Amino acid sequence: MRGVLLTGALIALIPLVLVIFYLLQKGLSSWSGSFFTTDPNGNFFGNPGGIRSAILGTLEIVALASLIAVPVGIGVALYLTEYGGEGRFAGVVRYFVDVMTGVPSIVFGLFIYIVLVLAKVGGAFTGWKGAVALSLLMLPIVIRAAEVVLLLVPSSLREAALALGAPRWRVVARVVLPTALPGLVTGSLLAIARGMGETAPLLFTTAGAFGLTFNLSQQMNALPLQIYNDILSPRDVVVARAWGAALTLVALVLILNLVARAIARRSVA
Amino acid sequence: MNKEKKVRTSRVSAIAALLLASLGIAACGSSSSSSSSSGAPAPSSGGSSSSGSGGSGGSATLNGAGSTLAALIYQQWGSTLKSQGLTVNFNPVGSGAGIADLQTATVQFAGSDPALKSSDTAKMKGPALQFPVAFGAITASYNLSGVKSGLKLDGPTLVNIFMGKIKSWNDPAIKALNPGISLPSTSITVIHRSDSSGTTKGFTTFLSDVSPTWKSQVGADKTVKWPTGTGAAKNSGVAAAIKQTSGAIGYVEQAYALENGFTYAAVKNSHGQYILPTIPNTSAAAVGIAVPKDLGISTINAGGATAYPIVSQTFLDVYKDPCKDGGASSSTASGLKKFLSYAFGAGQKTLGASSSQLPYAPLPTTLATQDNTQLQTMTCNGSPVS
Amino acid sequence: MGASATTAPGGRSVFQRSPASRLPDQVLKWGLRALAAAILALLAYFFIRLIGQSEKALSSFGLSFVFGNDWDVSRNIYHGFPLLFGTLVTSAIALVLGVPVAVASALYVTELCPRRLRGPLSVLVDLLAAVPSVVYGLWGVFVLAPKLEPIEKWVASTFSFIPFVGGQVSVPNYFIAGLILAIMILPIVSAISREVMATVPAEHKEAALALGATRWEMIRMAVLPYSRPGITGGVMLGLGRALGETIAVVLVIGNAPVVGHSIFSQGYSLAAVIANEFGEAAATPIHSSALFAAGLVLFVLTLIVNIFARRFIARGQRGLRGTGATGVTVAQAGAPE
Repeated sequence: MRGVLLTGALIALIPLVLVIFYLLQKGLSSWSGSFFTTDPNGNFFGNPGGIRSAILGTLEIVALASLIAVPVGIGVALYLTEYGGEGRFAGVVRYFVDVMTGVPSIVFGLFIYIVLVLAKVGGAFTGWKGAVALSLLMLPIVIRAAEVVLLLVPSSLREAALALGAPRWRVVARVVLPTALPGLVTGSLLAIARGMGETAPLLFTTAGAFGLTFNLSQQMNALPLQIYNDILSPRDVVVARAWGAALTLVALVLILNLVARAIARRSVA
Repeated sequence: MNKEKKVRTSRVSAIAALLLASLGIAACGSSSSSSSSSGAPAPSSGGSSSSGSGGSGGSATLNGAGSTLAALIYQQWGSTLKSQGLTVNFNPVGSGAGIADLQTATVQFAGSDPALKSSDTAKMKGPALQFPVAFGAITASYNLSGVKSGLKLDGPTLVNIFMGKIKSWNDPAIKALNPGISLPSTSITVIHRSDSSGTTKGFTTFLSDVSPTWKSQVGADKTVKWPTGTGAAKNSGVAAAIKQTSGAIGYVEQAYALENGFTYAAVKNSHGQYILPTIPNTSAAAVGIAVPKDLGISTINAGGATAYPIVSQTFLDVYKDPCKDGGASSSTASGLKKFLSYAFGAGQKTLGASSSQLPYAPLPTTLATQDNTQLQTMTCNGSPVS
Repeated sequence: MGASATTAPGGRSVFQRSPASRLPDQVLKWGLRALAAAILALLAYFFIRLIGQSEKALSSFGLSFVFGNDWDVSRNIYHGFPLLFGTLVTSAIALVLGVPVAVASALYVTELCPRRLRGPLSVLVDLLAAVPSVVYGLWGVFVLAPKLEPIEKWVASTFSFIPFVGGQVSVPNYFIAGLILAIMILPIVSAISREVMATVPAEHKEAALALGATRWEMIRMAVLPYSRPGITGGVMLGLGRALGETIAVVLVIGNAPVVGHSIFSQGYSLAAVIANEFGEAAATPIHSSALFAAGLVLFVLTLIVNIFARRFIARGQRGLRGTGATGVTVAQAGAPE
């Protein structure tokens, strides 16, 4: 039995090793100082530039998307576990959220494209619209994962706190959330990792740009967009840049993962 | 409450620290590529405001979307024009999406391979102008051991290959066209595009032109129901599939094929000549063709005796009055005109067959002149654009 | 007698909470309710817009949009059964291949692996989620598909008596797409399963062990039943990813709008068709409407699957309550009054 489970765990790691190895093989060669400090320039010949604007764009857009999706997602999950219970309203919310997890990312992008971009709400293609599309994508994941985790908080803990006279909000804030924190962090990270790597929602909302900008009301660059653009190129050095960008994306998510886990671990103590 | 606050604030501050650190890296990095839009105010008027912000002293930001064939050209031109104060962004989402974006004026220009149809112009906010900009050949690239050059194919044979009627390379039909080449008995694997693409439309238009059977059974469009073969996504997918499969044949954009040293066939044109998809032969496809008043040309199976028969044109589409219909500011309109003048002028010199030029065929001078003439009709709120 | 000692000014008992201190509770309750309602409104609006955009295609083609077998763009005929078929086949393959491996690795990490390795091992499996889908697709098309082709050919010829296995092998096919999807859903299912398994109360496990169960029996008796709802939740999330995955599938499924005759044939999926064709369809109303309708079908498909899943979870929870495996309340219920 131990052998079977160990095999399972190892099988799970094989594709990881293969893919990461492949990524390193193709992407590491394009990493350099200038890779991270210059913007892509669109030149057909010579140095095609680095991916600085893509990295910063991704960080900015995903930060905004997370700022929307994570608190709102945890809030809705809290509602579902603490107050909603088995009620009709909660049931309907649950079904809608479940269904949303299966919607292809491109449909979210198209939805925002139709509702915000074509209607020209606050500009045409903008960075913040990309963030909204991503947050729509991330929201169901956060809600679903948070709900699973919050349900696991033993009711005995809740009841004990209530029996000690703590008001409901205190129970939530000081008992439920801290207990569920590692799981909440995991769920949020899953959603953020997903958000960082998605191309389709951004293609129709942020549209991409080569130059560096921090203005979310303009077209912005992002790593997935840069990868999508570069992979199309017939030039080997540009394709190599795409792989370098993909490697950067994985590295960013890994760093985020480690940092967030360290924080969660320390605060649970 | 303190612990959660601490947790939440420490998480937020960690993310904030990460952001600040990366911003710090950016600030210390080279500042040469700061775009003109970074400090520009967001579009002021709500509703119909355009995304092109006019900056100071002739600088403008132009956003475009559309054809993937032309993306490389516009990106290169964008890089060159940056030093002149023009920021050009191009989103290669496909000709259809580009036109849709222009129809809603979310971009200042669209790149489209096919000419505008009446259904397209009907939904535009105002009269639109289309300008042929460049040409790209569609090569019939293949992977056949021992046959590195000299393969000749004609329209009907290509039709039969892509219909699955000719299944192996030593089929009599192919042999008849290539008497001097020893063809192996490898079976043919057809590779076609799986995603919607103007390249497919160009190729299938050629096949429909030379074969009424193809026209009625399959048709010509950006996506068709292929009678046989494997689908691969995008040029890179088709290129990879051809490389990996011995005996494969597929249609690949010229820029791709030339850059990656592909083996392609010489195709018979309407004058009976077998022509290779070189840049000069591609430009020849535009010589002597009928040019409609709206410049909506088509270069499939067209041109002179040296013309390669499968050539796709690509257009730049803009509003005739970008200010009135597209919500652009006057400086954006000037920037647009500057971009277009460059496109038919100095930009044309960046396209060609030499090793320092982009592998696309430039416009013949007559067409460039016609483009420029049409450009002068562009107005901003009624008055000519400066 | 103790009335004065336990009566606060105003006549209420000190054990009763003051109205003022109830305020944060009310704020929280109604705040969260409003939030959930707002999200529901947003999702409903999304759904309504989706229906609105699909209306044209659905009214033109009716039910043959879902069950007809002819997706022909150049003729503007959109009958999407091949797409639905491909989505179902690839997602099924993804679940069959991915879920056992994910649950096994989660079990290993939480129950069997040395404490020190637990953290690094979980981070590694979660790293699978960090890889962007386009990278999976490209790796699939450049590395996995060509390498697996000979094996697929062998399987197809050796096991051709099994329906749906024999026949011609195409390089991009349902199986490769399903395999890539399995890899993509692995981290989701594994991470959530891990979280769930880590919270199995120690008393359950110790009770099983104290009764003389072996490690595996303990897992089967205490860990798995307790975790079943949570694991199912994780599997549903993974399934959602599999159903909706676009870019990776586009690169490895072959994108042929046909109903493949074996798992090694090319096919198409609902999500892939939207990604492939929207760029060019945007200016053709019936085509773009058909693509939105494909998204709608996916929406409905996910709904149906989730209804079954929730029913499965509910049955499991009822079973748990029956066996009394719900923690302290059992002991309390059994305590003498």
